[in-house]
Amino acid sequence: MKGEVWVYAECIDRAFHEVSLEILSKGREIADKIGGSLSAVLIGRGLPDLAKELVDFGADQVHLLEPPDSNFYLDRQMVEVLAEFVKEHDPDIFLLAATSVGTELAPKLAAKLKTGLSAHCIDLDINEKGHLLQVVPAFEGGVLATIVCPDQRPQMATISPGVMRVRKRESRNGKILRREVPLKGEPRIKVLDTLREEPMDTPLEKAEVVIAGGWGLGGKEYWHMLEELATLLRGAVGATRPPVDEGWAREYQMVGQSGKTVRPKLYMGFGISGMMHHMVGIQDSDFIIAVNSDPGADIFKMCDFGVLGDLKKVLPCLIQEIRKKVKRVEV
Amino acid sequence: MRIIVCLKPVPDPKHWKEMSLHPTLKVLVREGIPNVINPLDRNALEEALRIKERQGGEVIILSMAPLFCLSILREALAMGGDRAILLSDKAFAGSDTLATSYILSEAVRKIGDFDLILCGNQTIDGWTGHVGPQLSQFLGIEGISLVRMIEEFHFEEDAKGRAKAARAIVRRNIEYGYVRIEAELPLLLSVVKEINTPRYATFAGILEAEKKEIQILSASDLKIDPSHVGLTGSPTKMADLFMPEVKRRREIIQEKPEVASRLIIEKIHQRGLI
Amino acid sequence: MDFKLSEREELLRKTVREFAEREITPRMDEMEETGEFPVDLLKKMGEMGILGVITPPEYGGVGLGNLARVIILEELGRICPAIPMALQVHHMATHALSAFANEEQKKKYLPPLAKGETMGVVAVTDPSGGSDVAGMKTSAKLEGDKYILSGRKCFITNAHASDIWVVIARTGEGGKGLSAFIVEKSFQGAKLGRKENKVGLRGAITGELVFQNCEVPQTNLLGHEGDGMNIAIRNIVETGRPGMASVALGILNAVLEQAAKFANERILYGKPISNLQMIQSHLADIYADLEISRLLVYRVGWMRDQNIRCDAESALAKQFSCEAAARSARKAIEIHGSYGIMREYPVQRLLRDALVTIPAGGTAEVAKLVMARQALSMLK
Repeated sequence: MKGEVWVYAECIDRAFHEVSLEILSKGREIADKIGGSLSAVLIGRGLPDLAKELVDFGADQVHLLEPPDSNFYLDRQMVEVLAEFVKEHDPDIFLLAATSVGTELAPKLAAKLKTGLSAHCIDLDINEKGHLLQVVPAFEGGVLATIVCPDQRPQMATISPGVMRVRKRESRNGKILRREVPLKGEPRIKVLDTLREEPMDTPLEKAEVVIAGGWGLGGKEYWHMLEELATLLRGAVGATRPPVDEGWAREYQMVGQSGKTVRPKLYMGFGISGMMHHMVGIQDSDFIIAVNSDPGADIFKMCDFGVLGDLKKVLPCLIQEIRKKVKRVEV
Repeated sequence: MRIIVCLKPVPDPKHWKEMSLHPTLKVLVREGIPNVINPLDRNALEEALRIKERQGGEVIILSMAPLFCLSILREALAMGGDRAILLSDKAFAGSDTLATSYILSEAVRKIGDFDLILCGNQTIDGWTGHVGPQLSQFLGIEGISLVRMIEEFHFEEDAKGRAKAARAIVRRNIEYGYVRIEAELPLLLSVVKEINTPRYATFAGILEAEKKEIQILSASDLKIDPSHVGLTGSPTKMADLFMPEVKRRREIIQEKPEVASRLIIEKIHQRGLI
Repeated sequence: MDFKLSEREELLRKTVREFAEREITPRMDEMEETGEFPVDLLKKMGEMGILGVITPPEYGGVGLGNLARVIILEELGRICPAIPMALQVHHMATHALSAFANEEQKKKYLPPLAKGETMGVVAVTDPSGGSDVAGMKTSAKLEGDKYILSGRKCFITNAHASDIWVVIARTGEGGKGLSAFIVEKSFQGAKLGRKENKVGLRGAITGELVFQNCEVPQTNLLGHEGDGMNIAIRNIVETGRPGMASVALGILNAVLEQAAKFANERILYGKPISNLQMIQSHLADIYADLEISRLLVYRVGWMRDQNIRCDAESALAKQFSCEAAARSARKAIEIHGSYGIMREYPVQRLLRDALVTIPAGGTAEVAKLVMARQALSMLK
């Protein structure tokens, strides 16, 4: 149906994946733009009260599909069930999150429905023709493409986590429609067990996040804080030459022309002035954040986001805030 | 066991800086850029070779690519593949992931029976990760992505009393750990980098590969419906293509530590890193 | 004349390049510091076939030929020139055996060398001078069914990493009185002497072999008594000089890459220095040195595979490319300005590596004698 926007929501341990709320919020924005409605699809048992939360974040309806067992895998049978359900309602747009679930479910569903799907969208919009404009990265972000699916329906996309903003939660009215999902025969895929893991140390060159420190850190005490920040963000620690000479950092952590070249998604430099032989080692970083107390520091000319301030105050504060945030997500 | 490994030649990342955007046609100019085997497909091939070393069988390389990519398939044979099939036809050009998966599925049908299909979880150029799951759908088999380890196979006796692999136990990456899954064969697995370290081809392997078969199939060799392939057969179309300029935003703020911290966290969150 | 590489040669190059970038790069600092050859890499290279590249398959090698060998050594040298330095001397040992050993000797000694179980050595240079081969003092006296070797060999690459040595020693008078022997480190009286501390190509071990009444079975004589000079010369012309030239080729590749990279990154007067004409002139010179050297060395590889005698061409390739490597490395250092003379930057290492290639495998002066002879013979 034209104007009907669907969103696939995921929850873990009775809390919604933050990215589900993000894509729900974007779905709401799109539905509003085309004067349509927003429905969330949730698969699982014992979730009706949780479903209400989806309404408060923007859904007009929540389709709650309840399989006989809460421990299930989204195998071919489940994909078929979901596909039948989608065909029944014929939504215009179906958005999923690019999570471990979404990145597998979405292509299987799109193949079953013989429709188009784009992956890891970093931006979404809709034009006057009702075409969903899906902006996706290719070549590790070096190229951006806008994808459309002009003919087949629903128009499907998976959305990268952290890209869309979560709207404010407000008390809203919405319908929660429950449906039992009967499954035929033994599932062909069984989940045996689930294991949690502590993230391992990534080598600098492969790290997605690099937290680097320079002379401005002043001493081992602040260097250890830098290391903690790196651990919290599951990143690697980098250094310029002075910290190595002082013994706070090791030689293999040096980043720059005579050290390592890094290309992380995020680079943060604390107390680093930004001299050329360090900057050439980080210039391909996707996003550069700098914290320095010297307004004339070269790094401010070569960063995306700069904080002019005392890192000895900013760093501990930042660590505190991040600790709080990480705790919330890990449930 | 008969294992099919799907392989895609991709532009060599060391040369990506040399690629440019055609100003009017809105396509990437890839001429002269050498291709390599998509890195995760190498991991898939390595896993297939290890299984073959343990259980015996055949490793078949399957790839949909232009004719000049024959040398890439030769490299895969040098690593240890037994034979290769290259799907090449002008009609295939412009296929999106759905059309590509359809074409690959028809080639797999032509190959006949198989136990396992292995692919890399995604390619470094497109990064969609769609072809594995979509191929499994087209073939009517189960597909599992983000596979970091194949723990073991369980065998059963078939009608002729021979041992046939019936089930596999694998580990799949999830956000904060992994799940252990048991799935029935035939099965498609999309693998991630952690699964193994791919071997180098040996010189002896390079010499042997020159004698191995590379079959080239066009659309007419497969039971392809032309309306399902190429640009016409692709539900997704590219409306625009651009190379973002790396211009640093230079947003400088001077705020209290608490405010600065919150703003920093917002930037981190926007990158999906927290 | 086809200047293109075959598909096989391209695939060989690609495979070795990947191996070198991934496996050798992380070991370079340690090699530079300690001067030691990474023995675990020997095993991996053996599995790939690098050690047996010119040894026939029936003796455990891959038998790919000399042009393939040049390409492989060049790719390894592009990352770490010390590695192909060690390997090329190893190939000299395998070549000496393939060309001059009898069936029993080949069956015994080639397989462990070809597979990389041990490195090989060719020991010609006496303290009395490597350029004066006929004047060597190391002697071998036949006593019963054994030769007794006495003397020392110096500046021998792979000395401390090798169990199998091809040694030239004096059994008679003058140049026609030299003979070649296969000596195992485990033989009575065979000892390792000092280890040298080279300024470059660190990671390729250079040391002394000492023979104190070393007992070598008669069956370990290579060919006949008196064959020693011919074996030494053929060995150096056909395998040693092309091998060293390939090391220099590797250095030239690295020199050009680093010079161009630095020129693109270094900003002066608001722009990369690659915009400045004098820098471009240096880069053009380095480019010319690389291309010319490559043509000379590849030609020797090709001639060897065609079994065409190439004494002068081999001398030219070696003398020119090693000199070019040193000349270009120096230019690259100047492109780097003061960064070029800091130990932290790799470019200074390339100059030191290039300097070591010049006397190794025969001095430039001896090479020029060969070239002059060829030039004069053209008058006839």
